[in-house]
Amino acid sequence: MSKRKIVIEPVTRVEGHGKVTIKLDEKGKVEDAFLHIVEFRGFEKFIQGHPYWEAPVLVQRLCGICPVSHHLAAAKAIDQLVGVDPENLTPTATKLRRLLHYGQVFQSHSLHFFYLASPDILFGINAPAEKRNIVAVASENRELAKKGILMRKFGQEIIKALAGKKIHGILAVPGGVHKTFTKEEREYFLDGKEIPNVDTMIAWSKEVIDFMKNYHLENGEWIDNFAAYPSNHLGLVDKETGALELYDGRLRSIDSEGNELLNIEDIEYRYHFKEAVEPWSYLKFPYMTKYGREKGWNRVGPLARLNTSSHITTPFAEVERQIFKAYTQNKPNNMTMHTHWARLIEMLHCAELIKELLLDDDLMGTDLVSTGTPRNKGIGIIEAPRGTLIHEYHTDDKGLITKCNLIVSTTHNNEAMNRGVRAVANEVLSEKPEITEPMLNQVEMAIRAYDPCLSCATHALGQMPLIVQLEDTNGNLIDEKIR
Amino acid sequence: MKKLDNTLIIGIGNNTRQDDGLGWSFLEILEKNGFNSENLLYKYQLMVEDAELIGEYETVFFVDACKTDIPKEFEIKRIFPAEQVAFSTHEVPPNQILNLCETIYNKKPKAYIIKIQGYEWDIEIGLTEQAKINLKNAFSFFIENKNLVSKSR
Repeated sequence: MSKRKIVIEPVTRVEGHGKVTIKLDEKGKVEDAFLHIVEFRGFEKFIQGHPYWEAPVLVQRLCGICPVSHHLAAAKAIDQLVGVDPENLTPTATKLRRLLHYGQVFQSHSLHFFYLASPDILFGINAPAEKRNIVAVASENRELAKKGILMRKFGQEIIKALAGKKIHGILAVPGGVHKTFTKEEREYFLDGKEIPNVDTMIAWSKEVIDFMKNYHLENGEWIDNFAAYPSNHLGLVDKETGALELYDGRLRSIDSEGNELLNIEDIEYRYHFKEAVEPWSYLKFPYMTKYGREKGWNRVGPLARLNTSSHITTPFAEVERQIFKAYTQNKPNNMTMHTHWARLIEMLHCAELIKELLLDDDLMGTDLVSTGTPRNKGIGIIEAPRGTLIHEYHTDDKGLITKCNLIVSTTHNNEAMNRGVRAVANEVLSEKPEITEPMLNQVEMAIRAYDPCLSCATHALGQMPLIVQLEDTNGNLIDEKIR
Repeated sequence: MKKLDNTLIIGIGNNTRQDDGLGWSFLEILEKNGFNSENLLYKYQLMVEDAELIGEYETVFFVDACKTDIPKEFEIKRIFPAEQVAFSTHEVPPNQILNLCETIYNKKPKAYIIKIQGYEWDIEIGLTEQAKINLKNAFSFFIENKNLVSKSR
């Protein structure tokens, strides 16, 4: 057998486009594997020269799935440009922004579970490709699909109520927010007359966690071992208590055994991180400077957040976190597929937080904007659904952006996803006489666990086939599948 | 005001990616020509929950840029629920949304796709000159064939 190269392009059911290349040697053993990010996104350059107040609006164009996360990260940075630190925002502004953020995380997590993960879970990894999708889920389990749609819709409705109907809508302005919440808006989410209410969202979130735990009971060995490998973990934690924090906190990193590697003010990130580049990918590889490229990379996202935080502040999610942590005897969890479980616990947490905020009268306050002494640099860091998201802006004295640096969640997870691809490729593809579609799907699953957002935004019709190419050692195409 | 009763027009795209903004531009022209904005929906991309939304209308138009060559640089055609399933739910195609709408909600809105050919997709605001011409032609054709629009008046 001659050397072969398997190319999976683009990766299916992830946010954006990517390509996986798996190189086999003469014996069919996996020699190496890479996840390439093939689309260059020059947004940092694009935004230079724009006034700083445009940033929270323009950055929403980065992603069709998580525009709110970019909006809020940019807003936190822009606050600093007008001299307002997070703790100086008015209570109403902070709570409205948090409500928007929790709505975003809730809808994004529900989207991932119901539409990206559930087909694999419901039908199994060996199911035919045409069955592993949401239409098949809807056909076989209409109620589950309906709940998925309604949960995502609930989060979207929160976003719409706060940021406006159209996609150009915004909530955050420099130093605060531009609108408050009304009693009518609050009742819409509490009374359950027009849409299932927040209590229903909490109940359904608990149901989905039970579904996942039962699935784990039946498939524990596979879930525990699939694409599992030790890593560091990074996430925001509450500044005072170390609790899970999604909007504003300290950056904390631990290693695979739980030893603390980093615990810093978030705005100090640039003194502690560097970004490596590789010739085969546009996506950079961030790492902690102190530990170097090989040992300093982190996972981010739901699994990392449950590893780095000490507890969860809402009661139902905390109970679930304790069950989750007990499974690893309170040690860090390095089992990649447990990311799905962690994501659902966060979904429940967000539903509880949304309820807390809806019952808080501060939400309807009228003190919306703070002011301060302008500066020329701002850094905004939040925990987006997929993990730590960093926005940094520099301006000149006219308020025009001169420099922008974005480190998105998927960038943090770049090394982790590559390790996952290699681990699974070795496990399922090495020395097999035939490469089947379910085998390729497993490679993709290792990536999908991170819910990566690889690029986004240009989705013109007719451009998203799945192409699988086999190439020999000289790069000659020896087989191709398009699905 | 030209009402679009029971008709939803969804523009798909991103106006910071040059011709990817064609779907939104089509809606903007409709608004400038007096069509009621309540029935015009701007989307970066279709999402599964749109299956519920379109079930509330008798007729739905999906307007998007098209990268592949089409004879008149635009095309309007009837579409139906997909019998074959796409492989990405990130970019849910319109016929999959129709399929979900039928499967989950037992509703079958009449649906059309309006494809407008684009050429450049870099991070930049503004359509290319040829895309602007295609947009104008597509809009003219749409207006001249009002019988496509359910109950327009």
